Amino acid sequence: MTISAGIDMGTQRVKVVIIKDEQVLSQTQNFLGFEPTKAVEQAFEEALQKAKLSHEDIQHVTATGAGVEMVSFADSTVSMMGADARAGACFFSSARTVIDVGAEEARAVKCDERGAMLDFVVNARCAAGAGTFIEAMSRALEVELEDMGSLSLKAERASPINASCVIFAESDVVSLIHRDEPKTEIARAIFDAMAERVSSMVYRLGINPDIVLVGGVAKDVGFVASLKRRLGTELLIPEEPLFAGAVGAALIAGKRAARRQQ
Amino acid sequence: MASEIEKGSRYIPEMSKSEIEELGNSIKTSSIKVMEQNIEKMKKTWPNRPEAMEYFDEISNFFGRREKEIREQKEAGKKLIGYSCMFAPIEFILAADAIPVRVGSGWYDAAKLGDRIMPVEVCPVIRSTVGAKMVSLSPYLELSDAIISPLTCDGRTKLSEILSDFKPIWYMTPPRVKDDPQSLSLWKEEMQVIKGKIEELTGNKITKDNLRSSIEKMQQATKAFRRLQDLRKGPPVITGRDAMLVNQTSLWDNIERWTQKTNELCDELEKRVEQKDYACPPDTSRVMVTGTPMLWPDSWKVPNLIEESNPKGLLVVDEQCSGDRILYDPVGVDEWTMSDMFDAVSERYLMASTCPCFTSEQGNEDRVNWIMNRIKEYKVDGVIYYVVRGCILYAMEYARIKRILDQMGIPVYYLDTEYTREDVGQMKTRIEAFLEMLEARIDI
Amino acid sequence: MLETIAEILLTTIAVGLVTAGILAILVWVRNLTRKLSALRLFIQIVAVAVIFLGLIIGPFGVAEWSYLGSAPKDIAIGKNIMGRPYPDGLSVPTFACYYASGRTSTCVVWQLQSYIFPYWETSSTYLTTGLERLGIAFGLLVVMSLIFGRFFCGWICPFGLYMDLLTRLRKTLKIRYWSLSEKANQALRQSRYLIIAAFLILSAILGMRAIAGVELIPEAELGRYLEMPFCQVCPAKPLFVLAEGALGYMNLDYALSKTIGDFALTGWYLTSINIIILGVVTVGSFKVRRLWCRICPLGGLIALFSRFGPFKKLSLIKLTKVEEKCTKCGICKRVCPPQVTEVYDKKGGDVTASDCILCFRCVEMCPYEDCLSVEVAGKKIYKSKNWLKEEEE
Repeated sequence: MTISAGIDMGTQRVKVVIIKDEQVLSQTQNFLGFEPTKAVEQAFEEALQKAKLSHEDIQHVTATGAGVEMVSFADSTVSMMGADARAGACFFSSARTVIDVGAEEARAVKCDERGAMLDFVVNARCAAGAGTFIEAMSRALEVELEDMGSLSLKAERASPINASCVIFAESDVVSLIHRDEPKTEIARAIFDAMAERVSSMVYRLGINPDIVLVGGVAKDVGFVASLKRRLGTELLIPEEPLFAGAVGAALIAGKRAARRQQ
Repeated sequence: MASEIEKGSRYIPEMSKSEIEELGNSIKTSSIKVMEQNIEKMKKTWPNRPEAMEYFDEISNFFGRREKEIREQKEAGKKLIGYSCMFAPIEFILAADAIPVRVGSGWYDAAKLGDRIMPVEVCPVIRSTVGAKMVSLSPYLELSDAIISPLTCDGRTKLSEILSDFKPIWYMTPPRVKDDPQSLSLWKEEMQVIKGKIEELTGNKITKDNLRSSIEKMQQATKAFRRLQDLRKGPPVITGRDAMLVNQTSLWDNIERWTQKTNELCDELEKRVEQKDYACPPDTSRVMVTGTPMLWPDSWKVPNLIEESNPKGLLVVDEQCSGDRILYDPVGVDEWTMSDMFDAVSERYLMASTCPCFTSEQGNEDRVNWIMNRIKEYKVDGVIYYVVRGCILYAMEYARIKRILDQMGIPVYYLDTEYTREDVGQMKTRIEAFLEMLEARIDI
Repeated sequence: MLETIAEILLTTIAVGLVTAGILAILVWVRNLTRKLSALRLFIQIVAVAVIFLGLIIGPFGVAEWSYLGSAPKDIAIGKNIMGRPYPDGLSVPTFACYYASGRTSTCVVWQLQSYIFPYWETSSTYLTTGLERLGIAFGLLVVMSLIFGRFFCGWICPFGLYMDLLTRLRKTLKIRYWSLSEKANQALRQSRYLIIAAFLILSAILGMRAIAGVELIPEAELGRYLEMPFCQVCPAKPLFVLAEGALGYMNLDYALSKTIGDFALTGWYLTSINIIILGVVTVGSFKVRRLWCRICPLGGLIALFSRFGPFKKLSLIKLTKVEEKCTKCGICKRVCPPQVTEVYDKKGGDVTASDCILCFRCVEMCPYEDCLSVEVAGKKIYKSKNWLKEEEE
């Protein structure tokens, strides 16, 4: 029996998950804001309280994510790809590809049934393939972020967005609004553009079903629909896709704790 | 008419003396800093670094001892002949009592300067060389009496033009198809021309005797080089970066002295093999790098990341013209007559090269065989396919190499980067993920 | 009894000396790019001595051959094959010329020509039937080709030694060699099969002496000469005859007397055509390495039975290449005396060519460890080494 914790230091938020063996005891998240180290500590404390545990009870803490150095109390680290692969295999035993679309980066990992990483591909150069794109576009459309998805599902076609870059896409959207293009279709075009970037990245890896989608954006129905269309396959989405990285890190922490026990 | 309008240099615009001096000094200072930092890092990763490496640290400083030596030799009347690519016949240069030196630019800051003239799509090595010329940064480039420029890729073709405003450039046109019967005869003609030019510049004739002795000198250098590379096949007694440093210093150092010092280093390393004195834990993942050349000092970016990240990796071998391919192939002479020696030297430079600028009916199979062979001999766990943005040849061969490595069950990662320090963070995450993947496979 | 002991003693000493010589070369020659070549030269000299052993061990001044000179005609071995006399001796696929004195074996081309027609004849000298003789000669040819391939050409043939000595002379004088174009080599290579076929057919026809009652050759002596038409043009014969004549083992006056025609156009021991061809080949092989081997019909015969079709799989000795280790540096192609390109062109596996004389120069000069190797009966007995390692400077 091992109790371990996983901490995913993303670019916008930190996610903490505490597990016992393979059972999730608690999970918390916190926006990083201007004091990220404090945010991490707070999130961790909160998670401990929820699980009714103390710091000493946690046998191993593994951190992952872009801001991994800021987690001073981590016992070890793991790459985001490794954490995603592990989590994907844990959520769905048939998972062979895990796509993680974060706020600023998208990645895809090929894994085997145990969650070992076999290959990976990263798209960090193009912001139009990550979560902030939707945020920026929702501002341009003057629509609430949470409503973007359902809005796009109402459209039957996508408005033409020509720009290859998110900066230009924003001005494109504004001009489309002025031309009285329906917002539903613009929203759909935005999700299609994003799905295009993500799917071309996945093609470099090779399409190996079953494909799991994780990351904050996985809850957005609009994006999921566009991505399914582009990839031409079904997507498996866990209950809490935002916490996938942290869950993966926690599972790996548990494995490491067990090894040290021996 | 062009000749009426073009005054002065054709590509590089006039720059004020003060600007040149200012930029030159700042790039030189940062370059010296980078060199020192890299050496510090290597020392830190390998606390028990042998003393024999200190010689190479000294020679690695472009602006130090070696520059002084070359200046002295030039004053005494010797000529310095630079070459931009590994097809130049070093044996001829040595036979005519001139100094051969490779002029390839490994300065990231100079690439930013080159951006003023060349668009960013152009290979960064080329942009960096242009930038270095603009501020007269490279001592070897500046001191060269002539530069041999094999036109192996588009970038180099135009680079020769740019540099020809400042230095006499001797072009060599290697055939792109190695196996055709006319290819070798074309190449031999090119070699004849170069031989004549070397003799003319230096005023020394290349005779049977001095050519034989320079071929033998280079064979000794190859012997020492292979000895070092063979030591990397076994347990890790030397880190990849240190071996790379030793390899690359042969490009501008006095070759006989380099041979001697490398042999001394190998003596020490052989002792360490027996004493089991390793540079890193023997179960560290063994990584091979293949792709565009990684030139000292700034291109140590990726090797630094590989050998310092968590988990660690060890660079055991590479397939690059800045590493394992520098001196691996010897000149094989059958009969020590002038014509056979000439043929042997010409063939060695053309036939042994695995550069993707070549093709044939089977494609660049030499490179495939080289990689497959190295993976087996050096027990490589994973391959990093390193390409600087702008190199079409290496980028395009990736598809083929990847399929072959997939068949062999060797993980390969396409690492595409630039002459910039700003993407270190991104490179770090990817390299760490790759090394993690390799480590996990060892458990399998 | 004493004689047998003396013979055994002499044989042991001879074998001992040869072994000592081999070991001396293997140890003393440190330069890996020359070691095998030195060994090959030594073996070639030993082979010549063994082929013409009669000139060394006698008996000398044999009465019935006195007009020839001081040496016995031959002390051929294999004269008795399982109780059946086989008087011309062991057939070997190399130029162990029948006409020279003191030889221990016989050139198989002579035997094939001699026995091919009329094969049914038996006579007082030949107690085996012609068919048996032909079968034995042919059988030995096939067996030796399968076991040794053109190893004979590179390591045993005395004419090969002659050409190699010319090459060494050229090297000492630092004169460069000529390379023939691939087209020329191809032409020579293909013509040798035509040549041997033509000569064997010619031998059959001329052996008949008459076709449909029409007499082909009136003079019996001329007919005897022309029964072996290849020997009328072979360059090896005059080399041995003239050499032995110069050394006093053969009476050249007698040899020259056995000719017909104003310019000795045909003859038993020597003909003018023989000498002219020898002259041409000598001059040619001074500049072109192993020129004769590229057109040698005997070599063609061996190649036929070791490099083609089903023989290729059965052949015991071959050159193999490991595909990955080859960098296509081209050294093997450049140093090859008969200019074989298959070692370079073929990707991997069995790379022995029909022109290859198995001199192993390519394996010796290949600078990549274990890339090329010599395989005998599936076992690799010699591999290419990193010859930079052992050079003493």
